[in-house]
Amino acid sequence: MREAVHVERPWFSASLWEWIFTTDHKKIGIMYGVTSTLFFVIAGLMALGMRLELFSPGGQYMKPETYNYFLTVHGTVILLWWAIGIWSSFANFLIPLMIGARDVAFPRLNALGYWMFFAASVIALLTFIPGNHIMTMWTGYPPLAAKEGVGFAGTTALFVFIWHLTGFASIAGAVNFITTVIRMRAPGIGFWNLNLFIHGVIAANVIQLLGVPSVAGAVTMLFLDTYLKTSFFDPTKGGDPLLYQNLFWFYSHPAVYVMVLPAFGIISEIVSTFARKPIFGYKSMVVAIWAIAVVGFTVWTHHMFVSGIPDWVKILMSYTTLLIAVPTGIKIFNWVATLYRAAIVYRTPMLYALGAILMFLIGGLTGIPLGIPAFDIAVHDSYFVVGHFHYVLGMAVTLSAFGGFFYWWPKVTGRMYSEGLGKLSFWIVLVGSNLLYFPQLVIGLLGMPRRYYDYPAIPEWVTLHQIQTYGAFILALGLLIAMVALIKGAFSGERVGPNPWESNSLEWRIPSPPPPQNFDTPPKVEENFCPHGYRKL
Amino acid sequence: MEVLARPYDLWEGIYKIWLVITVIIYAAVAIPSLIFMVKYRYKPGEREVGDHEHEGHWGLEALWTIIPLIIVLYLATHGFAIFTQMRKPPENALELRVTAFSWGWIFQYPNGKTVVASAIRDTEDKKCKPEECYGVDGVFQHYVYIPAGVPVKVLLTSQDVIHSFYVRAAGVTQDAVPGRTTYTWFQINEPGEYWVFCREYCGQWHSRMFAKLKVVPKEEFERWLRGETADGGHESEARKVANITEVREVVR
Repeated sequence: MREAVHVERPWFSASLWEWIFTTDHKKIGIMYGVTSTLFFVIAGLMALGMRLELFSPGGQYMKPETYNYFLTVHGTVILLWWAIGIWSSFANFLIPLMIGARDVAFPRLNALGYWMFFAASVIALLTFIPGNHIMTMWTGYPPLAAKEGVGFAGTTALFVFIWHLTGFASIAGAVNFITTVIRMRAPGIGFWNLNLFIHGVIAANVIQLLGVPSVAGAVTMLFLDTYLKTSFFDPTKGGDPLLYQNLFWFYSHPAVYVMVLPAFGIISEIVSTFARKPIFGYKSMVVAIWAIAVVGFTVWTHHMFVSGIPDWVKILMSYTTLLIAVPTGIKIFNWVATLYRAAIVYRTPMLYALGAILMFLIGGLTGIPLGIPAFDIAVHDSYFVVGHFHYVLGMAVTLSAFGGFFYWWPKVTGRMYSEGLGKLSFWIVLVGSNLLYFPQLVIGLLGMPRRYYDYPAIPEWVTLHQIQTYGAFILALGLLIAMVALIKGAFSGERVGPNPWESNSLEWRIPSPPPPQNFDTPPKVEENFCPHGYRKL
Repeated sequence: MEVLARPYDLWEGIYKIWLVITVIIYAAVAIPSLIFMVKYRYKPGEREVGDHEHEGHWGLEALWTIIPLIIVLYLATHGFAIFTQMRKPPENALELRVTAFSWGWIFQYPNGKTVVASAIRDTEDKKCKPEECYGVDGVFQHYVYIPAGVPVKVLLTSQDVIHSFYVRAAGVTQDAVPGRTTYTWFQINEPGEYWVFCREYCGQWHSRMFAKLKVVPKEEFERWLRGETADGGHESEARKVANITEVREVVR
């Protein structure tokens, strides 16, 4: 059997051949990062298109089917490529470095996972062909989604295959990362002194392993209903459309913790490094992460509070939903306590991380009422929900992903990003995001339903939509500047040593960029090793 | 005191409680954060490394576990109590059977009278100016008469895909699911025109799926229901229903 391509050169001087056949976790991590970011940009541009359409009431320049297509792709891509996919990038690059391993446990499975993700990306791009537009929203509820499959290639099929392929990549990644962390840690690194980023990622991957089969089953049944005329979800033949919603949300609610737990991990890494002190309450942080992962599986019906399920289920899952606020609160309070008697160095990653905490808090606090059926009944499927999850995904996840980009950029490229542009980008992003997302909360309380291509000219609605559109363009400018700061750094930034941030974590003890085999000898950590804290050079 | 609409009054109660708690919690986190961010900045020669003594404090951590736990248990339980009241339609409620279709609703009154509120689609039906697309034109859209001060129980179902029924003034949302009947109720006390929207994505013209409730005094409603006012008898309405079903078949 032919060997997989050996890693001989560091990632920046590798040939195309080596990139395609590589099993190196760092290269695969970079490929995930580039793919995810590219799709993030595409989904962002589509959002700008939708914001222009919504600037005033009436059809502006789009047809409703174009809008519905844009919204479907925006949702699907932001969730599967950005909020989930980008963590595959971070996890691939960082897990082996943080635990002192040379690669992940199953490097070829890892490569296969990426290429499945790539295949899903190709299918997502195929939907741009007229006639292939998927218009089912990212949730693909039947019976609507089961009726759409009459396009050129069968739009329901495209929708289903996107889920299958990204799901395969998720499971391959989960098996890999979980095994790697269990089996390949350097001596001296155990459950209670792992990086919090690793706890976050592994908890997320346990969710993937247990949850993805549920959604994969749901979309498979949708596929069968659409093309083979089975009747899992068809009420005229004895099926039940709510079965799909249960199976879908059984994964897709925990999936929001797949998106946000790694973000929490990154915030913890950055905050402790730049506060120059160990994270406050490490143990309760770990317990909180795992509690969120477990309780997260018991809350899914809050997505179905108005769908006709029995009232007692709503009440039961109202309690479990609100319970999630407790471990989440622990994390936020611990971050704040970490700042107490710290020596805070304000570099770009720290700004992004602190912004992510304070903005996530708004996302969390607006999530609580959505878990109370008595509150939810007035705002279900309104812009309030849109605002809530944009504070979580558009702010907590995106700000920490960009914080992570800035933080590990010197490690990945060996060069420092542009600090002035980085800080500027943060403030523009913060202003733009709030102008975009806060009016969504307000307009939702005023009744605006979500997924509307057009809306009646109710004066408050018009004003609030206009503010959102301005905010969206400010946000886009900020993100553009952030990307310029990073790319400029990669080409012409100052060269950095192994540990520019003076962090105690293991990835900062090897040269930047990391050599092909990461660690020449298995690393030895000091006794009482703690990855969070300050390390003098 | 007479409220504008029910059960919106109940919703407002829980909304206010949530808002107060949220603002307090946000301040309790943000104010110390900002103070620490300013006070504990890195200062060369003076404050270069953070305090490594404070790695945790069980008392504090227990405190910010227990207090949020009490708050969420209170909110969930209070919400439970309110929700139980919200879901119970008053005994004397007027029963309205509502069938959703792509894209609109057919309202059926207890005496069999039907009213259709169907989306005005500017590509297929007619070009509507922005201000007309959400108007009541008497062709696709008809006023849905509702008596003021009388609770209305809505029994919902759908002919095709999942839709929903949201009465803006009353703050109630309920999905219309094919193959099952769901319910909600509301009461509007003040005569006037009120919005109803679909909130469950249902395809191309989801955004134009609306209805206008015309809330009128009870006597006027009774007269309208008996067909004594100018605004349409149910025979012509029924014909339009048939038309809409036809259109739907063609679209499919």
